Amino acid sequence: MSKTFQRDALVLSNEQIQGDYYRMVFEQPVIADMARAGQFLHVQIPGMPHRILRRPFSISDVNLCKGSLSIVYKVVGVGTEQLGQLKPGLLVNLIGPRGNGFGKLPTEGESVLLGGGYGCAAIFLLAKRAAKPPLIMLGGRSREDIIMVPEFESLGCKVLVATDDGSLGCKGYVTLLLEEYLRQGGMPSRVAACGPLGMLESSGRLCEKHSLDGELSLDSIMCCGMGACFACVVKKRADNEQGWEYVRSCQEGPVFKADEVYWG
Amino acid sequence: MADLSVNLPGLQLRNPVIAASGAFGYGSEYRDLLPFEQLGAITVKGVSPFPSDGNPTPRTAEVYGGMLNAIGLQNPGLKKFICDAQYLPFLRTLPCPVIVNIWGRSIEQYAEVAAGLEEERQGIAALEINISCPNIKEGGIAFGTDLKLAAKVVAAVRKVSSLPLITKLSPNVSNIGDFAKCAVDAGSDMVSLINTMPGMAIDLESRRPLLANVSGGYSGPGIKPIALRMVHEARKAIKAPIIGMGGISNGRDALEFMVAGADAVAVGTAIFANPQCLLQIPQEMEQWLDRQGIKKVSEISNSLKI
Repeated sequence: MSKTFQRDALVLSNEQIQGDYYRMVFEQPVIADMARAGQFLHVQIPGMPHRILRRPFSISDVNLCKGSLSIVYKVVGVGTEQLGQLKPGLLVNLIGPRGNGFGKLPTEGESVLLGGGYGCAAIFLLAKRAAKPPLIMLGGRSREDIIMVPEFESLGCKVLVATDDGSLGCKGYVTLLLEEYLRQGGMPSRVAACGPLGMLESSGRLCEKHSLDGELSLDSIMCCGMGACFACVVKKRADNEQGWEYVRSCQEGPVFKADEVYWG
Repeated sequence: MADLSVNLPGLQLRNPVIAASGAFGYGSEYRDLLPFEQLGAITVKGVSPFPSDGNPTPRTAEVYGGMLNAIGLQNPGLKKFICDAQYLPFLRTLPCPVIVNIWGRSIEQYAEVAAGLEEERQGIAALEINISCPNIKEGGIAFGTDLKLAAKVVAAVRKVSSLPLITKLSPNVSNIGDFAKCAVDAGSDMVSLINTMPGMAIDLESRRPLLANVSGGYSGPGIKPIALRMVHEARKAIKAPIIGMGGISNGRDALEFMVAGADAVAVGTAIFANPQCLLQIPQEMEQWLDRQGIKKVSEISNSLKI
Protein backbone atom coordinates (compact mmCIF):
# COMPACT_ATOMS: atom_id res chain seq x y z
CA MET A 1 0.00 0.00 0.00
CA SER A 2 1.42 3.37 -1.02
CA LYS A 3 1.36 6.44 1.17
CA THR A 4 -1.97 8.29 1.25
CA PHE A 5 -2.34 12.06 0.97
CA GLN A 6 -5.22 14.43 1.63
CA ARG A 7 -4.81 17.42 -0.68
CA ASP A 8 -6.82 20.07 -2.49
CA ALA A 9 -6.75 19.67 -6.26
CA LEU A 10 -7.52 22.18 -8.99
CA VAL A 11 -10.19 21.08 -11.47
CA LEU A 12 -8.53 21.50 -14.88
CA SER A 13 -11.46 20.23 -16.92
CA ASN A 14 -14.78 18.45 -16.51
CA GLU A 15 -16.19 17.35 -19.83
CA GLN A 16 -18.94 15.09 -21.06
CA ILE A 17 -17.62 12.04 -22.91
CA GLN A 18 -21.03 10.86 -24.09
CA GLY A 19 -24.48 10.45 -22.57
CA ASP A 20 -24.14 10.32 -18.78
CA TYR A 21 -20.37 9.74 -18.85
CA TYR A 22 -17.91 12.48 -17.92
CA ARG A 23 -14.17 12.92 -17.45
CA MET A 24 -12.70 15.19 -14.80
CA VAL A 25 -9.04 16.15 -14.76
CA PHE A 26 -7.39 17.37 -11.54
CA GLU A 27 -4.06 19.06 -11.03
CA GLN A 28 -2.51 17.38 -7.99
CA PRO A 29 1.15 16.48 -8.62
CA VAL A 30 1.79 14.76 -5.27
CA ILE A 31 -1.02 12.25 -5.73
CA ALA A 32 -0.37 11.94 -9.49
CA ASP A 33 3.25 10.97 -8.79
CA MET A 34 2.22 8.11 -6.51
CA ALA A 35 -0.82 6.84 -8.43
CA ARG A 36 -0.89 3.31 -9.82
CA ALA A 37 -3.46 1.69 -12.09
CA GLY A 38 -6.42 0.34 -10.13
CA GLN A 39 -6.04 2.78 -7.26
CA PHE A 40 -8.76 5.30 -6.50
CA LEU A 41 -9.35 8.86 -5.36
CA HIS A 42 -11.75 9.54 -2.51
CA VAL A 43 -13.38 12.78 -3.61
CA GLN A 44 -15.15 15.33 -1.45
CA ILE A 45 -17.70 16.83 -3.82
CA PRO A 46 -18.17 20.54 -3.06
CA GLY A 47 -21.59 22.10 -2.83
CA MET A 48 -23.49 19.30 -1.09
CA PRO A 49 -23.97 20.53 2.49
CA HIS A 50 -26.52 17.85 3.36
CA ARG A 51 -24.68 14.97 1.65
CA ILE A 52 -21.43 14.69 3.49
CA LEU A 53 -19.69 11.49 2.42
CA ARG A 54 -16.87 11.28 -0.09
CA ARG A 55 -17.19 9.30 -3.33
CA PRO A 56 -14.52 6.88 -4.61
CA PHE A 57 -13.45 7.01 -8.29
CA SER A 58 -10.86 4.91 -10.08
CA ILE A 59 -7.88 6.85 -11.37
CA SER A 60 -8.27 6.50 -15.14
CA ASP A 61 -5.23 8.40 -16.33
CA VAL A 62 -2.14 10.22 -15.05
CA ASN A 63 -0.01 12.88 -16.70
CA LEU A 64 3.23 13.02 -14.73
CA CYS A 65 4.59 16.01 -16.69
CA LYS A 66 1.52 18.12 -15.95
CA GLY A 67 1.04 16.68 -12.46
CA SER A 68 -2.54 15.86 -13.35
CA LEU A 69 -4.81 12.86 -13.01
CA SER A 70 -8.23 11.93 -14.35
CA ILE A 71 -11.37 10.15 -13.29
CA VAL A 72 -14.17 8.94 -15.55
CA TYR A 73 -17.63 8.82 -14.02
CA LYS A 74 -21.24 8.19 -14.88
CA VAL A 75 -23.95 10.40 -13.46
CA VAL A 76 -26.03 7.97 -11.40
CA GLY A 77 -27.10 9.86 -8.27
CA VAL A 78 -26.95 13.04 -6.21
CA GLY A 79 -23.16 13.01 -5.85
CA THR A 80 -22.21 12.40 -9.46
CA GLU A 81 -24.91 14.84 -10.60
CA GLN A 82 -23.26 17.55 -8.52
CA LEU A 83 -19.82 16.44 -9.75
CA GLY A 84 -21.03 16.98 -13.32
CA GLN A 85 -21.81 20.62 -12.47
CA LEU A 86 -18.30 21.51 -11.25
CA LYS A 87 -16.39 24.06 -13.30
CA PRO A 88 -12.66 24.24 -14.03
CA GLY A 89 -10.80 26.43 -11.55
CA LEU A 90 -12.57 25.01 -8.52
CA LEU A 91 -10.65 23.31 -5.70
CA VAL A 92 -11.72 19.81 -4.74
CA ASN A 93 -10.36 17.92 -1.73
CA LEU A 94 -8.94 14.51 -2.59
CA ILE A 95 -7.72 11.60 -0.52
CA GLY A 96 -5.45 9.33 -2.48
CA PRO A 97 -4.07 7.39 -4.01
CA ARG A 98 -6.02 4.72 -2.15
CA GLY A 99 -6.10 0.94 -2.44
CA ASN A 100 -3.63 -1.60 -3.72
CA GLY A 101 -4.11 -1.30 -7.50
CA PHE A 102 -3.47 -3.83 -10.25
CA GLY A 103 -0.21 -5.73 -10.56
CA LYS A 104 1.98 -4.73 -13.48
CA LEU A 105 0.99 -6.68 -16.61
CA PRO A 106 3.40 -9.49 -17.51
CA THR A 107 5.77 -8.75 -20.38
CA GLU A 108 5.31 -12.28 -21.75
CA GLY A 109 2.16 -13.35 -23.62
CA GLU A 110 -1.04 -11.41 -24.13
CA SER A 111 -3.00 -9.72 -21.35
CA VAL A 112 -6.75 -9.33 -21.63
CA LEU A 113 -8.44 -6.39 -19.88
CA LEU A 114 -12.21 -6.29 -19.37
CA GLY A 115 -14.16 -3.15 -18.58
CA GLY A 116 -17.88 -2.98 -17.84
CA GLY A 117 -19.47 0.49 -18.18
CA TYR A 118 -17.37 3.05 -16.29
CA GLY A 119 -15.20 0.14 -15.15
CA CYS A 120 -13.14 0.77 -18.27
CA ALA A 121 -11.69 3.79 -16.44
CA ALA A 122 -9.67 1.63 -14.04
CA ILE A 123 -8.20 -0.53 -16.78
CA PHE A 124 -7.20 2.41 -19.02
CA LEU A 125 -4.20 3.40 -16.92
CA LEU A 126 -3.20 -0.26 -16.67
CA ALA A 127 -3.28 -0.55 -20.46
CA LYS A 128 -1.38 2.72 -20.88
CA ARG A 129 1.43 1.59 -18.62
CA ALA A 130 1.73 -1.90 -20.11
CA ALA A 131 4.95 -2.91 -21.88
CA LYS A 132 2.85 -3.96 -24.88
CA PRO A 133 -0.77 -3.15 -25.70
CA PRO A 134 -3.19 -5.58 -24.06
CA LEU A 135 -6.39 -6.86 -25.68
CA ILE A 136 -9.37 -4.80 -24.47
CA MET A 137 -12.91 -6.10 -24.05
CA LEU A 138 -15.56 -3.51 -23.23
CA GLY A 139 -19.14 -4.20 -22.26
CA GLY A 140 -22.25 -2.24 -21.38
CA ARG A 141 -26.03 -2.26 -21.58
CA SER A 142 -26.15 -0.30 -24.81
CA ARG A 143 -23.88 1.60 -27.23
CA GLU A 144 -24.12 4.70 -24.98
CA ASP A 145 -22.33 2.72 -22.28
CA ILE A 146 -19.31 1.93 -24.43
CA ILE A 147 -16.78 4.70 -23.88
CA MET A 148 -13.07 5.39 -24.37
CA VAL A 149 -12.70 3.14 -27.45
CA PRO A 150 -10.61 5.74 -29.34
CA GLU A 151 -8.39 6.26 -26.28
CA PHE A 152 -7.69 2.53 -25.99
CA GLU A 153 -7.06 2.32 -29.74
CA SER A 154 -4.62 5.21 -29.55
CA LEU A 155 -2.54 3.05 -27.18
CA GLY A 156 -2.36 0.47 -29.95
CA CYS A 157 -4.87 -1.82 -28.27
CA LYS A 158 -7.33 -3.98 -30.16
CA VAL A 159 -10.81 -3.30 -28.70
CA LEU A 160 -13.66 -5.83 -28.73
CA VAL A 161 -17.13 -4.70 -27.72
CA ALA A 162 -20.25 -6.43 -26.43
CA THR A 163 -23.56 -4.83 -25.48
CA ASP A 164 -26.56 -6.39 -23.74
CA ASP A 165 -28.91 -5.10 -26.47
CA GLY A 166 -26.53 -5.70 -29.37
CA SER A 167 -26.55 -2.02 -30.36
CA LEU A 168 -22.74 -2.09 -30.64
CA GLY A 169 -20.42 -5.06 -31.14
CA CYS A 170 -21.57 -8.54 -30.12
CA LYS A 171 -24.89 -9.02 -28.35
CA GLY A 172 -24.39 -10.27 -24.80
CA TYR A 173 -22.17 -9.81 -21.79
CA VAL A 174 -18.54 -8.79 -22.12
CA THR A 175 -17.50 -12.09 -20.56
CA LEU A 176 -18.87 -13.84 -23.67
CA LEU A 177 -16.00 -12.20 -25.54
CA LEU A 178 -13.54 -13.70 -23.06
CA GLU A 179 -15.20 -17.12 -23.35
CA GLU A 180 -14.99 -16.95 -27.13
CA TYR A 181 -11.34 -15.88 -26.94
CA LEU A 182 -10.56 -18.84 -24.72
CA ARG A 183 -12.55 -21.21 -26.94
CA GLN A 184 -10.41 -20.16 -29.87
CA GLY A 185 -7.32 -21.19 -27.96
CA GLY A 186 -6.38 -17.83 -26.49
CA MET A 187 -4.21 -18.26 -23.38
CA PRO A 188 -3.89 -14.84 -21.69
CA SER A 189 -0.94 -14.38 -19.35
CA ARG A 190 -3.16 -12.06 -17.26
CA VAL A 191 -6.83 -11.19 -17.11
CA ALA A 192 -7.76 -7.93 -15.37
CA ALA A 193 -11.33 -6.75 -14.97
CA CYS A 194 -13.32 -3.88 -13.52
CA GLY A 195 -17.07 -3.53 -13.70
CA PRO A 196 -20.33 -4.63 -12.08
CA LEU A 197 -20.19 -7.50 -9.57
CA GLY A 198 -21.94 -10.00 -11.89
CA MET A 199 -19.39 -9.38 -14.61
CA LEU A 200 -16.53 -9.80 -12.13
CA GLU A 201 -17.97 -13.05 -10.85
CA SER A 202 -18.22 -14.44 -14.41
CA SER A 203 -14.68 -13.24 -15.14
CA GLY A 204 -13.41 -14.74 -11.89
CA ARG A 205 -15.07 -18.09 -12.55
CA LEU A 206 -13.63 -18.20 -16.08
CA CYS A 207 -10.16 -17.50 -14.69
CA GLU A 208 -10.58 -20.33 -12.19
CA LYS A 209 -11.91 -22.79 -14.79
CA HIS A 210 -9.03 -22.10 -17.16
CA SER A 211 -6.39 -21.62 -14.43
CA LEU A 212 -5.73 -18.05 -15.54
CA ASP A 213 -3.89 -15.40 -13.57
CA GLY A 214 -6.73 -12.95 -12.94
CA GLU A 215 -7.20 -9.69 -11.06
CA LEU A 216 -10.57 -8.15 -10.29
CA SER A 217 -11.31 -4.62 -9.13
CA LEU A 218 -14.40 -4.79 -6.91
CA ASP A 219 -16.90 -1.95 -6.74
CA SER A 220 -18.52 -1.80 -3.31
CA ILE A 221 -20.33 0.89 -1.33
CA MET A 222 -17.60 2.83 0.40
CA CYS A 223 -17.75 5.21 3.31
CA CYS A 224 -14.47 6.38 4.91
CA GLY A 225 -12.27 4.94 2.14
CA MET A 226 -9.47 4.73 4.71
CA GLY A 227 -10.03 1.25 6.15
CA ALA A 228 -11.54 2.62 9.35
CA CYS A 229 -15.28 2.03 9.07
CA PHE A 230 -15.56 -1.50 7.62
CA ALA A 231 -18.46 -0.51 5.33
CA CYS A 232 -16.95 -1.68 2.03
CA VAL A 233 -16.10 -5.24 3.06
CA VAL A 234 -16.12 -8.07 0.52
CA LYS A 235 -15.87 -11.82 1.04
CA LYS A 236 -12.35 -13.14 0.65
CA ARG A 237 -11.64 -16.86 0.75
CA ALA A 238 -10.26 -17.92 4.11
CA ASP A 239 -9.09 -21.07 5.80
CA ASN A 240 -11.93 -21.16 8.34
CA GLU A 241 -15.19 -23.01 8.88
CA GLN A 242 -17.33 -20.82 6.61
CA GLY A 243 -14.61 -20.55 3.97
CA TRP A 244 -14.51 -16.73 3.85
CA GLU A 245 -13.78 -13.60 5.81
CA TYR A 246 -14.81 -10.00 5.29
CA VAL A 247 -11.95 -7.77 4.16
CA ARG A 248 -12.03 -4.07 3.37
CA SER A 249 -12.24 -3.22 -0.31
CA CYS A 250 -10.63 0.20 0.27
CA GLN A 251 -7.68 -1.26 2.16
CA GLU A 252 -7.06 -4.88 1.14
CA GLY A 253 -8.54 -4.14 -2.32
CA PRO A 254 -10.17 -2.86 -4.42
CA VAL A 255 -8.12 -5.18 -6.65
CA PHE A 256 -8.12 -8.83 -5.60
CA LYS A 257 -6.61 -11.91 -7.18
CA ALA A 258 -9.45 -13.71 -8.95
CA ASP A 259 -8.91 -16.85 -6.84
CA GLU A 260 -9.08 -14.85 -3.59
CA VAL A 261 -12.68 -13.73 -3.98
CA TYR A 262 -15.41 -15.86 -2.42
CA TRP A 263 -18.52 -16.02 -4.61
CA GLY A 264 -20.58 -18.41 -2.45
CA MET B 1 -4.08 31.43 23.23
CA ALA B 2 -6.73 29.65 25.24
CA ASP B 3 -5.75 26.51 27.14
CA LEU B 4 -7.54 23.60 25.48
CA SER B 5 -6.32 20.90 27.85
CA VAL B 6 -8.91 18.90 29.73
CA ASN B 7 -8.48 16.62 32.72
CA LEU B 8 -10.84 13.71 32.95
CA PRO B 9 -10.49 11.03 35.66
CA GLY B 10 -7.18 9.30 34.89
CA LEU B 11 -7.19 10.78 31.42
CA GLN B 12 -5.37 13.95 30.42
CA LEU B 13 -6.22 15.37 27.01
CA ARG B 14 -4.25 18.11 25.25
CA ASN B 15 -7.52 19.20 23.68
CA PRO B 16 -11.13 18.08 24.27
CA VAL B 17 -11.64 16.47 20.84
CA ILE B 18 -11.66 12.67 20.78
CA ALA B 19 -11.98 10.45 17.70
CA ALA B 20 -15.15 8.41 18.27
CA SER B 21 -15.24 4.62 18.25
CA GLY B 22 -16.14 3.07 14.91
CA ALA B 23 -15.06 6.14 12.96
CA PHE B 24 -11.32 5.79 13.47
CA GLY B 25 -10.66 2.07 12.93
CA TYR B 26 -7.72 0.96 15.07
CA GLY B 27 -5.78 4.19 14.55
CA SER B 28 -3.19 2.96 12.06
CA GLU B 29 -5.57 3.60 9.18
CA TYR B 30 -5.04 7.35 9.62
CA ARG B 31 -1.29 7.38 10.19
CA ASP B 32 -0.53 8.97 6.79
CA LEU B 33 -3.06 11.75 7.24
CA LEU B 34 -2.93 12.88 10.87
CA PRO B 35 -0.20 13.83 13.39
CA PHE B 36 -1.31 11.80 16.41
CA GLU B 37 0.61 14.06 18.80
CA GLN B 38 -1.92 16.79 18.06
CA LEU B 39 -5.05 14.70 18.79
CA GLY B 40 -6.98 14.90 22.04
CA ALA B 41 -7.47 11.14 22.18
CA ILE B 42 -8.63 8.32 19.96
CA THR B 43 -11.18 5.60 20.61
CA VAL B 44 -10.70 2.34 18.74
CA LYS B 45 -13.41 0.22 17.20
CA GLY B 46 -15.31 -2.09 19.57
CA VAL B 47 -13.36 -5.16 20.71
CA SER B 48 -15.16 -8.33 21.81
CA PRO B 49 -13.72 -11.51 23.37
CA PHE B 50 -14.34 -13.37 20.09
CA PRO B 51 -13.63 -12.39 16.45
CA SER B 52 -16.77 -11.10 14.75
CA ASP B 53 -17.68 -10.93 11.05
CA GLY B 54 -20.19 -8.15 11.55
CA ASN B 55 -23.30 -7.71 9.42
CA PRO B 56 -23.96 -8.56 5.76
CA THR B 57 -23.49 -5.82 3.14
CA PRO B 58 -24.56 -3.15 2.23
CA ARG B 59 -23.66 -1.80 5.63
CA THR B 60 -23.91 1.95 5.11
CA ALA B 61 -26.17 4.37 3.28
CA GLU B 62 -25.84 8.09 2.90
CA VAL B 63 -28.96 9.98 3.96
CA TYR B 64 -29.94 13.63 4.35
CA GLY B 65 -27.72 15.20 7.00
CA GLY B 66 -25.55 12.17 7.57
CA MET B 67 -25.50 8.43 7.15
CA LEU B 68 -26.87 5.14 8.38
CA ASN B 69 -24.56 2.34 9.41
CA ALA B 70 -25.07 -1.25 10.39
CA ILE B 71 -21.49 -2.49 10.43
CA GLY B 72 -22.31 -4.86 13.26
CA LEU B 73 -19.09 -4.48 15.26
CA GLN B 74 -16.80 -6.48 12.99
CA ASN B 75 -13.55 -6.91 14.90
CA PRO B 76 -10.57 -9.27 15.18
CA GLY B 77 -11.39 -10.39 18.73
CA LEU B 78 -9.48 -9.82 21.97
CA LYS B 79 -6.52 -12.14 21.32
CA LYS B 80 -5.69 -10.77 17.89
CA PHE B 81 -6.28 -7.21 19.12
CA ILE B 82 -3.65 -7.73 21.81
CA CYS B 83 -1.12 -9.66 19.74
CA ASP B 84 -1.32 -8.48 16.12
CA ALA B 85 1.14 -5.67 15.33
CA GLN B 86 -1.49 -3.48 13.64
CA TYR B 87 -3.68 -3.28 16.74
CA LEU B 88 -2.57 -2.82 20.38
CA PRO B 89 1.21 -2.99 19.67
CA PHE B 90 0.76 -0.12 17.18
CA LEU B 91 -1.56 1.80 19.51
CA ARG B 92 1.08 1.61 22.28
CA THR B 93 3.45 3.65 20.11
CA LEU B 94 1.04 6.58 19.80
CA PRO B 95 1.68 9.89 21.57
CA CYS B 96 -2.02 10.47 22.33
CA PRO B 97 -4.31 8.71 24.83
CA VAL B 98 -5.94 5.57 23.46
CA ILE B 99 -9.42 4.56 24.62
CA VAL B 100 -10.47 1.00 23.87
CA ASN B 101 -14.17 0.43 23.21
CA ILE B 102 -15.40 -2.99 24.41
CA TRP B 103 -18.52 -5.08 23.95
CA GLY B 104 -19.86 -8.59 24.47
CA ARG B 105 -22.97 -10.67 23.95
CA SER B 106 -23.38 -11.27 27.67
CA ILE B 107 -22.38 -9.62 30.94
CA GLU B 108 -19.68 -12.28 31.33
CA GLN B 109 -18.24 -11.44 27.93
CA TYR B 110 -17.99 -7.74 28.77
CA ALA B 111 -16.06 -8.74 31.89
CA GLU B 112 -13.94 -11.19 29.89
CA VAL B 113 -12.70 -8.58 27.44
CA ALA B 114 -12.15 -6.04 30.22
CA ALA B 115 -10.17 -8.60 32.25
CA GLY B 116 -8.07 -9.50 29.20
CA LEU B 117 -7.25 -5.86 28.59
CA GLU B 118 -6.49 -5.30 32.28
CA GLU B 119 -3.52 -7.66 31.93
CA GLU B 120 -2.38 -5.76 28.86
CA ARG B 121 -3.25 -2.31 30.10
CA GLN B 122 0.03 -0.66 29.19
CA GLY B 123 -0.75 1.93 26.52
CA ILE B 124 -4.49 1.93 27.21
CA ALA B 125 -5.78 5.16 28.76
CA ALA B 126 -9.37 4.09 29.40
CA LEU B 127 -12.09 1.62 28.46
CA GLU B 128 -15.33 2.68 26.85
CA ILE B 129 -18.13 0.21 27.54
CA ASN B 130 -20.41 0.01 24.52
CA ILE B 131 -23.92 -0.74 25.74
CA SER B 132 -25.54 1.12 22.90
CA CYS B 133 -24.81 -0.42 19.51
CA PRO B 134 -28.17 -0.58 17.67
CA ASN B 135 -26.98 -3.08 15.06
CA ILE B 136 -26.39 -6.40 16.81
CA LYS B 137 -29.02 -8.83 18.01
CA GLU B 138 -27.39 -9.83 21.27
CA GLY B 139 -25.50 -7.41 23.44
CA GLY B 140 -25.11 -3.77 22.60
CA ILE B 141 -28.34 -1.86 22.91
CA ALA B 142 -30.11 -4.64 24.81
CA PHE B 143 -27.91 -3.65 27.77
CA GLY B 144 -28.17 0.06 27.10
CA THR B 145 -31.94 0.28 27.24
CA ASP B 146 -32.48 -1.66 30.48
CA LEU B 147 -31.33 0.04 33.67
CA LYS B 148 -30.74 -3.19 35.59
CA LEU B 149 -28.72 -4.79 32.80
CA ALA B 150 -26.75 -1.60 32.22
CA ALA B 151 -25.79 -1.49 35.89
CA LYS B 152 -24.77 -5.16 35.86
CA VAL B 153 -22.52 -4.71 32.81
CA VAL B 154 -20.78 -1.67 34.26
CA ALA B 155 -20.35 -3.31 37.66
CA ALA B 156 -18.94 -6.47 36.09
CA VAL B 157 -16.37 -4.45 34.13
CA ARG B 158 -15.57 -2.28 37.17
CA LYS B 159 -14.82 -5.40 39.19
CA VAL B 160 -12.06 -6.56 36.84
CA SER B 161 -10.66 -3.29 35.51
CA SER B 162 -8.53 -0.62 37.14
CA LEU B 163 -8.68 1.58 34.05
CA PRO B 164 -10.86 4.69 33.89
CA LEU B 165 -14.27 3.59 32.63
CA ILE B 166 -16.49 5.45 30.20
CA THR B 167 -19.97 4.07 29.53
CA LYS B 168 -21.34 4.88 26.09
CA LEU B 169 -25.07 5.52 26.30
CA SER B 170 -27.84 4.94 23.80
CA PRO B 171 -30.18 7.77 22.76
CA ASN B 172 -32.93 5.17 22.33
CA VAL B 173 -34.28 5.60 25.88
CA SER B 174 -36.99 7.80 27.32
CA ASN B 175 -34.83 9.24 30.11
CA ILE B 176 -31.11 9.48 29.39
CA GLY B 177 -30.48 11.00 32.83
CA ASP B 178 -31.52 7.73 34.51
CA PHE B 179 -29.01 5.78 32.42
CA ALA B 180 -26.20 8.26 33.04
CA LYS B 181 -26.82 8.06 36.79
CA CYS B 182 -27.15 4.29 36.71
CA ALA B 183 -23.78 3.92 34.91
CA VAL B 184 -21.99 6.23 37.33
CA ASP B 185 -23.57 4.56 40.38
CA ALA B 186 -22.39 1.17 39.06
CA GLY B 187 -18.79 2.38 38.92
CA SER B 188 -18.33 4.18 35.62
CA ASP B 189 -16.02 7.19 35.96
CA MET B 190 -17.59 8.97 33.01
CA VAL B 191 -20.28 8.59 30.38
CA SER B 192 -20.20 9.27 26.65
CA LEU B 193 -23.27 10.04 24.59
CA ILE B 194 -24.92 9.68 22.23
CA ASN B 195 -24.46 6.57 20.13
CA THR B 196 -26.29 6.55 16.78
CA MET B 197 -30.09 6.88 16.48
CA PRO B 198 -31.89 3.85 15.02
CA GLY B 199 -33.15 4.66 11.54
CA MET B 200 -33.73 3.26 8.06
CA ALA B 201 -33.67 4.18 4.39
CA ILE B 202 -35.60 2.71 1.46
CA ASP B 203 -34.95 2.54 -2.27
CA LEU B 204 -38.38 3.45 -3.61
CA GLU B 205 -38.09 1.77 -7.01
CA SER B 206 -37.11 -1.64 -5.65
CA ARG B 207 -38.97 -1.05 -2.35
CA ARG B 208 -35.99 -2.56 -0.58
CA PRO B 209 -34.15 -1.22 2.46
CA LEU B 210 -30.78 0.30 1.57
CA LEU B 211 -29.13 -1.66 4.38
CA ALA B 212 -28.93 -5.46 4.45
CA ASN B 213 -29.65 -5.20 8.17
CA VAL B 214 -32.85 -3.25 7.26
CA SER B 215 -32.21 -0.67 9.97
CA GLY B 216 -29.05 1.05 11.11
CA GLY B 217 -27.71 3.85 13.25
CA TYR B 218 -28.19 7.43 12.03
CA SER B 219 -25.19 9.70 12.58
CA GLY B 220 -23.94 13.02 11.26
CA PRO B 221 -25.01 16.67 11.55
CA GLY B 222 -28.70 15.67 11.46
CA ILE B 223 -28.60 14.23 14.97
CA LYS B 224 -26.86 17.16 16.64
CA PRO B 225 -29.98 18.77 18.21
CA ILE B 226 -31.02 15.40 19.68
CA ALA B 227 -27.54 14.80 21.08
CA LEU B 228 -27.23 18.30 22.55
CA ARG B 229 -30.49 17.91 24.42
CA MET B 230 -29.43 14.53 25.76
CA VAL B 231 -26.09 15.86 26.99
CA HIS B 232 -28.01 18.62 28.74
CA GLU B 233 -30.37 16.05 30.35
CA ALA B 234 -27.46 13.85 31.41
CA ARG B 235 -25.66 16.84 32.93
CA LYS B 236 -28.67 17.56 35.11
CA ALA B 237 -28.58 13.96 36.37
CA ILE B 238 -24.86 13.46 37.14
CA LYS B 239 -21.77 15.35 38.30
CA ALA B 240 -19.31 12.92 36.62
CA PRO B 241 -17.61 13.97 33.39
CA ILE B 242 -19.52 13.66 30.13
CA ILE B 243 -18.04 13.12 26.68
CA GLY B 244 -20.58 14.63 24.30
CA MET B 245 -21.00 13.53 20.71
CA GLY B 246 -23.52 13.38 17.89
CA GLY B 247 -23.12 15.34 14.67
CA ILE B 248 -20.14 17.48 15.69
CA SER B 249 -18.32 18.75 12.62
CA ASN B 250 -16.79 22.10 13.57
CA GLY B 251 -15.48 24.08 16.52
CA ARG B 252 -18.78 25.80 17.23
CA ASP B 253 -20.60 22.44 17.40
CA ALA B 254 -18.01 21.17 19.88
CA LEU B 255 -18.30 24.28 22.05
CA GLU B 256 -22.10 24.02 22.08
CA PHE B 257 -21.79 20.49 23.49
CA MET B 258 -19.49 21.78 26.21
CA VAL B 259 -21.89 24.59 27.06
CA ALA B 260 -24.66 21.97 27.30
CA GLY B 261 -22.63 20.12 29.93
CA ALA B 262 -19.92 18.07 28.22
CA ASP B 263 -16.36 18.07 29.57
CA ALA B 264 -14.93 16.76 26.29
CA VAL B 265 -16.39 15.84 22.92
CA ALA B 266 -16.05 13.06 20.38
CA VAL B 267 -16.23 13.30 16.60
CA GLY B 268 -17.22 10.41 14.36
CA THR B 269 -18.96 10.79 11.02
CA ALA B 270 -17.24 14.13 10.30
CA ILE B 271 -13.93 12.23 10.11
CA PHE B 272 -15.25 10.31 7.09
CA ALA B 273 -16.00 13.58 5.31
CA ASN B 274 -12.74 15.24 6.35
CA PRO B 275 -10.10 13.50 8.49
CA GLN B 276 -8.43 16.89 9.06
CA CYS B 277 -11.46 17.94 11.14
CA LEU B 278 -9.72 16.37 14.14
CA LEU B 279 -7.11 19.14 13.87
CA GLN B 280 -9.44 21.89 12.64
CA ILE B 281 -12.06 21.55 15.38
CA PRO B 282 -9.63 22.29 18.25
CA GLN B 283 -8.18 25.19 16.24
CA GLU B 284 -11.64 26.66 15.71
CA MET B 285 -12.44 26.19 19.40
CA GLU B 286 -9.26 28.01 20.37
CA GLN B 287 -10.01 30.91 18.01
CA TRP B 288 -13.51 31.32 19.41
CA LEU B 289 -12.30 31.20 23.01
CA ASP B 290 -9.58 33.78 22.21
CA ARG B 291 -12.14 36.10 20.66
CA GLN B 292 -14.28 35.75 23.77
CA GLY B 293 -11.30 36.32 26.06
CA ILE B 294 -11.81 32.92 27.74
CA LYS B 295 -8.53 31.52 29.05
CA LYS B 296 -9.42 27.87 29.55
CA VAL B 297 -11.83 25.70 27.58
CA SER B 298 -13.05 23.94 30.72
CA GLU B 299 -14.51 27.28 31.85
CA ILE B 300 -17.32 26.98 29.33
CA SER B 301 -18.32 23.45 30.35
CA ASN B 302 -21.83 23.41 31.73
CA SER B 303 -22.25 27.17 31.25
CA LEU B 304 -25.71 27.03 29.70
CA LYS B 305 -27.79 30.05 30.63
CA ILE B 306 -31.49 29.39 31.00
